[in-house]
Amino acid sequence: MLWTEGIVAALKRHKVRLISYLPDTIVYRVLSLMENDPDFEMVPVAREEECVGILAGAYLGGMRGAMFAQNSGLGNCVNALASLAVPWQIPMPMFLGQRGELGEFNVCQVGMGRATRPILDALGIPHVTPTRPEEVEGLVSDGIKLAYDTRTPIGFILSRQLTGGKNE
Amino acid sequence: MSRLTRSQATKLLFGKITDQPILGGIGGPTYDLYGAGDRDRNLYTWGSMGQIASMGLGLAIARPDLRVIVLDGDGSILMNLGCLATIARKAPPNLVHIVWDDEVYETTGRQPTHTGAGTDLAGIARAAGIPKAVRTEDDAGFAAAIDRALAEPGPWFIGAKVAPEKGTARPPRDPLFFKYRFMRAIEKPQ
Repeated sequence: MLWTEGIVAALKRHKVRLISYLPDTIVYRVLSLMENDPDFEMVPVAREEECVGILAGAYLGGMRGAMFAQNSGLGNCVNALASLAVPWQIPMPMFLGQRGELGEFNVCQVGMGRATRPILDALGIPHVTPTRPEEVEGLVSDGIKLAYDTRTPIGFILSRQLTGGKNE
Repeated sequence: MSRLTRSQATKLLFGKITDQPILGGIGGPTYDLYGAGDRDRNLYTWGSMGQIASMGLGLAIARPDLRVIVLDGDGSILMNLGCLATIARKAPPNLVHIVWDDEVYETTGRQPTHTGAGTDLAGIARAAGIPKAVRTEDDAGFAAAIDRALAEPGPWFIGAKVAPEKGTARPPRDPLFFKYRFMRAIEKPQ
């Protein structure tokens, strides 16, 4: 199973329906599998922080959701996570296309590449970095279970080792 | 014909609603929502400035059976103007987004916002793609806008000019209590 298919399978297993996203090269490989699938309600945003509000509102109404963005978008979400998702204990799976690590060509991506995990750690948000396609469905499924059963955001860092990243 | 304060406008709104869920944004909108009358279908917030309209969008998508009312502030929506384009793109017919526009950051000491210098929020909403975006100046205009927004399909954006006023009501700062109360109040019967 491709890593992209593993994510979609885990989302379906846990009835995660609302997908709020800002596309990037990496996460679009997953989004493109979902955009014409009636199991998913796609909600594109203008800035990633909106995803936090949208997913919180949907959760209050009983609908499960997930966020897809580049790791740079995590930087745009910090206050919303710290003041909404974390204290309100809102389950929030976040799939982050990871830039700025081994193989990166753009120096301006490196800062957030370094900051991604420390930001999540500082917020007390668990995260996992799958590196092999065959482990994706299991890790993502267990992560979504942790998020919903214990009411917490969670980060899935989509590494270049897993996805092939972006090359230029 | 007179300009309302935010708390007067919130009370006017309360005279017209039935069981619609209402989300209050940080600061004045939350304080006056609580002051107008605490109810299980009120949700109060104390952070994430700018996010209340996005929360309303998420709830409106999740629950098309409910007409979702969002109470926002001019300072807050100025932080998240992109969400108006996002709302326009999804166009949920059951979203009523009200912005109390007092032209100041009231909570931090009444510093002027951009709206007092000419920024027209309803104009921005309309240009973002929300055709049912209206600006109201006084009690009669606001009452007429609410009557339509509660009866006709939206999404609605109401930029309501209000007079500055220091809100004094304070809901207990207990997000988890209000979260679960709100969720249970709107829960669909199994």
